[in-house]
Amino acid sequence: MWWYVVKRLLQTIPVFLGATLIIFVLLKIRPGDPILNLAGNKPVSQEVRDALAAQYHIDDPLWQQWLFFVKHAITLDFGNTFAGQPVIELIKQTFPVTVVLAVMALAFDGILGIGLGTIAGLRRNGWFDSSMLVLSLLLLSIPIFVLGFVAQLAFGVKLGWTSPTVGGDWNVGKLILPAIVLAVANFAYTLRLCRTSVAENLSADHVRTARAKGLSGRKVVVNHVLRNSLVPVITYMGINLGSLMAGAIITETIFNIPGIGNAAFTAIFKGETSTIVAIVTFMVMVYVLMSLLVDLLYAVLDPRIRYA
Amino acid sequence: MPETRPGQERFVAPVDQTPLRAIDAVDVDAVPESQWKEAWKRLRVSPLFWLSVVIITFIAVMIFFPTLFTSSDPSRGSLDNSFEPPSEGHPFGYTQQGYDVWARTVYGARASVAVGVLSAIMTAVLGMITGAIAGFYGGIVDTLISRVSDIFFSIPLLLACIVVISVINNMWPNRGFWGAVAVVVVALSLFAWPQITRQMRGAVLEIKNLEFVDAATAIGATRMTNLRRHIVPNALAPVIVASTISLGVFIVAETSLSFLGLGLPSNVASWGNDLSAAQNQVRSGQHLQLMYVPAAALALTVLGFILLGEAVREALDPKARKK
Amino acid sequence: MTDTPLLEVQDLSVGFRAGKETLTAVDQANLVIYPGQTIAIVGESGSGKSTMAHAIIDLLPGNGRVLGGRILFEGDDIATVGRDKILALRGSSIGLVPQDPMSNLNPLWKVGAQIKEALVANDVAYGAEADRRVVELLEEAGLPDAERRARQYPHEFSGGMRQRALIAMGLAARPKLLIADEPTSALDVTVQKQILDHLDMLTDSLGVAVMLITHDLGLAAERADHLVVMYRGRVVESGPALEILQDPQHPYTQRLVSKAPSIASQRLSSVKAREEVRAQAVEHAAEVAAEVAHSGEEFGEGNKDILVVENLTKVFQLRGAKPWVKTDFTAVDDVSFRLQRGTTTAIVGESGSGKSTVARMVLDLLPVTSGRVLFDGVDIKELGSKKLQLRFRRQMQPVFQNPYASLDPLYSIYQSIEEPLRTHEVGTKKERETKVRDLLDKVSLPTTVMSRYPGELSGGQRQRVAIARALALDPEVVICDEAVSALDVLVQAQILELLNDLQAELGLSYLFITHDLAVVRQIADNVLVMQEGKVVEQSSVNEVFDNPREAYTRKLLDAIPGGSIPLASS
Repeated sequence: MWWYVVKRLLQTIPVFLGATLIIFVLLKIRPGDPILNLAGNKPVSQEVRDALAAQYHIDDPLWQQWLFFVKHAITLDFGNTFAGQPVIELIKQTFPVTVVLAVMALAFDGILGIGLGTIAGLRRNGWFDSSMLVLSLLLLSIPIFVLGFVAQLAFGVKLGWTSPTVGGDWNVGKLILPAIVLAVANFAYTLRLCRTSVAENLSADHVRTARAKGLSGRKVVVNHVLRNSLVPVITYMGINLGSLMAGAIITETIFNIPGIGNAAFTAIFKGETSTIVAIVTFMVMVYVLMSLLVDLLYAVLDPRIRYA
Repeated sequence: MPETRPGQERFVAPVDQTPLRAIDAVDVDAVPESQWKEAWKRLRVSPLFWLSVVIITFIAVMIFFPTLFTSSDPSRGSLDNSFEPPSEGHPFGYTQQGYDVWARTVYGARASVAVGVLSAIMTAVLGMITGAIAGFYGGIVDTLISRVSDIFFSIPLLLACIVVISVINNMWPNRGFWGAVAVVVVALSLFAWPQITRQMRGAVLEIKNLEFVDAATAIGATRMTNLRRHIVPNALAPVIVASTISLGVFIVAETSLSFLGLGLPSNVASWGNDLSAAQNQVRSGQHLQLMYVPAAALALTVLGFILLGEAVREALDPKARKK
Repeated sequence: MTDTPLLEVQDLSVGFRAGKETLTAVDQANLVIYPGQTIAIVGESGSGKSTMAHAIIDLLPGNGRVLGGRILFEGDDIATVGRDKILALRGSSIGLVPQDPMSNLNPLWKVGAQIKEALVANDVAYGAEADRRVVELLEEAGLPDAERRARQYPHEFSGGMRQRALIAMGLAARPKLLIADEPTSALDVTVQKQILDHLDMLTDSLGVAVMLITHDLGLAAERADHLVVMYRGRVVESGPALEILQDPQHPYTQRLVSKAPSIASQRLSSVKAREEVRAQAVEHAAEVAAEVAHSGEEFGEGNKDILVVENLTKVFQLRGAKPWVKTDFTAVDDVSFRLQRGTTTAIVGESGSGKSTVARMVLDLLPVTSGRVLFDGVDIKELGSKKLQLRFRRQMQPVFQNPYASLDPLYSIYQSIEEPLRTHEVGTKKERETKVRDLLDKVSLPTTVMSRYPGELSGGQRQRVAIARALALDPEVVICDEAVSALDVLVQAQILELLNDLQAELGLSYLFITHDLAVVRQIADNVLVMQEGKVVEQSSVNEVFDNPREAYTRKLLDAIPGGSIPLASS
């Protein structure tokens, strides 16, 4: 088990370095004034120029610049926004909301996806299964922001069940609708995966042996079918975190949630490339960490990985 | 010899009731069927498949013969027509800038579908080549390619595209239609290829150890010949499924990017742009058709491709083949 | 001795729904088992034996159902009884030992926990007492170090160990009847014998009746007093085991008795038949050798020993738990032998013996660590030019074990057989087609098969195609790597006959790899017995069967199921 952990940790390092390298290379593609590159072709004040130059060590050789980039990323030193605010402060302010939103979305995704997927898998090819199939295909076809709009209109404006936008003073209640919207896109995949996993496990040999032992139907399903089916589903949901973060940008924009996605959108809108890069780098780090945790979770769930 | 007990006496079934068949005889009358033919047969009876064909054909006609649907010019808009209600020849009225909503939607199919198809093709090619090389040669080549693919995979698609396109925006601000499409396609493919690589690599790993590959080597085939003639053709099935499904995903991704202002230039007719522009107008609950029309077209198109992917997956599923 | 039957199956019919039709898998089967008795149900795949067993405890898959008849367990008809009664019966009255040890244990649970589940579900024991009982049961089933093993996961067990765990699970609640569905088919022959012996002893001491399901007639006769022979869903013959073996009356049973290798191998007639084949083959081969010796173009020197293997060794480097530490694993250790033209040398061994590794090295599919392989006097490592290598390839061809993997599923039968001809650019298209037809004829397949695809053919038919492909380049040596191991008993016999016929007709030399010593007698002249990479014994087949020298060889011979049954002379 320990070697597995060490191996995974060791694997994370080149992945992280590689990701930062790619982002760094993208920054450096354009020949010419590197400051303009970071400033998004807009004229900026001399202060901002100096700040950017210092942050990115423009005058140093390229490979050193990259090492500084990595160092800054690890120490969470991202310099300042054009308005002068340290980016790390911006992140600290906005990240918690996004975390809450993502966790809630993951919860909806998990509960609904696993719940409905299990039922569909247990009653494979029944009417429930077919309708779930149709539903999931439909949901996969509708882009998240359309769903967001519609939800906002229907529940926020027309029906008035929730507030259409969230705004600065957020609480969990206001985040429910955005979380559901965020979850919907992924929920379709989770449902399909869970359904397939359950259906396959139902006809597995070891399930038949469990029945032969004299176990009641419910016990067989819970102990032997579900437990085995959940492993791929849970690991998949962990990977989902990446798309959740990406989806968060759009959801936060639609519902006006003061999260990190919204900050990214604002930066895009204003053309503050350096801020965009900082935020994206941070999110990538979070994602790499998350997928490491998920892999470790996978080892906990499946003894074959642990003791291989 | 022990006595036989009741019920266990010697019994021989009458031969006329239990006739013997020849051992392992070939069924001479059956029609020959290759794997692809079998898959096609399954595809032919799948309702998902036909539904997707109908949808995709409809969209294709819209793309190649837009004048069948509308006679308006999507790029001509005058503020005089701002928010005009539906009228003859303009079934959904006008946008804020005075563009014909229906025309914009009809012509918008081109951009979105172009991005989807081109990205899917490019991703498939990249993924197949890297996956085949990694799976076939193994060892350090495999480790290298797998690590690199992990790296690209670890950056969520949308985020990566945001960075790439932001940077390119600085370099190349006035791109024009095909330039914009190319940028989006390259950005998407650059970070989506690991998915296909994994599928291909997995399939190649499985197949290269099968005995018919050894048999070909024993005949004198070289490794390259084996790869070309035996391994890759058998590894295509999962790649085809993944690529077909990815088409729909790419179209959605393009609209998301356009929504964020990073996709195609705003004067180009694309569903993403229309939806993005509609966002503000719709907040108040008015002029809903500005959103519904492109959204419906988008959802229909994506649905078509996703259905196709599902139908293809079911047709090629090896477990289904056993039946 | 009680005379009330424990289980009575009366006119049972079981079917599967496929679309609108119902396929009958079991057709009016009858059988009777008495308490404490062991009976065996014998049949090939598709005979319905497993289906019937599953129907008894209502374990049929979703689309299966009982179409008619009665199943009387201790007098009560359980075919139509409610779910609760069946649940109560399962485990505590009727236990199951399933077929495949690799897939029948839940990989995510500890082995001990799975056995404990059986105890708890049948109200035998709970909690700490159940834990103790689990260890006892594992020990009873013959698993050493049971207490530690109970806390391990299935993937840490070997196949034999898993089967023992499954036996412990089946007997956990002390059922009156144990259904053992091919409990040892997937295991090595010596392990098979151990486990079955142990099972016999256990069930005798516990007074448990056993319904043993097997495809091996010899094994059935050895382990049971009463046999039930099934063919295509019907019971074709049943009665006392010895009687059936010595005097089979139904044509199907007669077929089985005459062809099943474990029984046939003891007959003098098979020995005689082999000698005839060999005589013819050697004659033809000598002619070929003379041609080769005189011509300058043919590959090789025309020696009597067409294959000489000297000190062949293969060492693999395995990565252990620590990635930087590599341990050496010697798969093949200093193996030497000679194959004479027109004869068959068999290499026999259990899993891990290295026999397949030897075959792959001889075929030059695997690099050699040390040692030499000489084909007709030419060292195969010293083939410089590409041309020479290709010519070498023509002389020696393989037939592999898995009929489902040995043909490219996307190639038609014609393309598969034609491929070697195309690679070596032999003849025109028309000539190649004629050759393919000719080859199909040789392996007794109708030429209409040419346009078919492997997916449509059975295992035996695919093996015949594989043999046709191997013969396409007119090789002198064919390496059969477990070529018949995956086939049904009668199909196996058919293929062995085919191989013998081809050898006599074409003067081929065979290197025959197998784990089944019984098959060896019908096809081989010389035998190498391998164990853990080393050659344990090496001599003629008759010598090995009549006067085995080494203890391991004797063990292998003992383990042949049905090897000790007295048969009527034939």
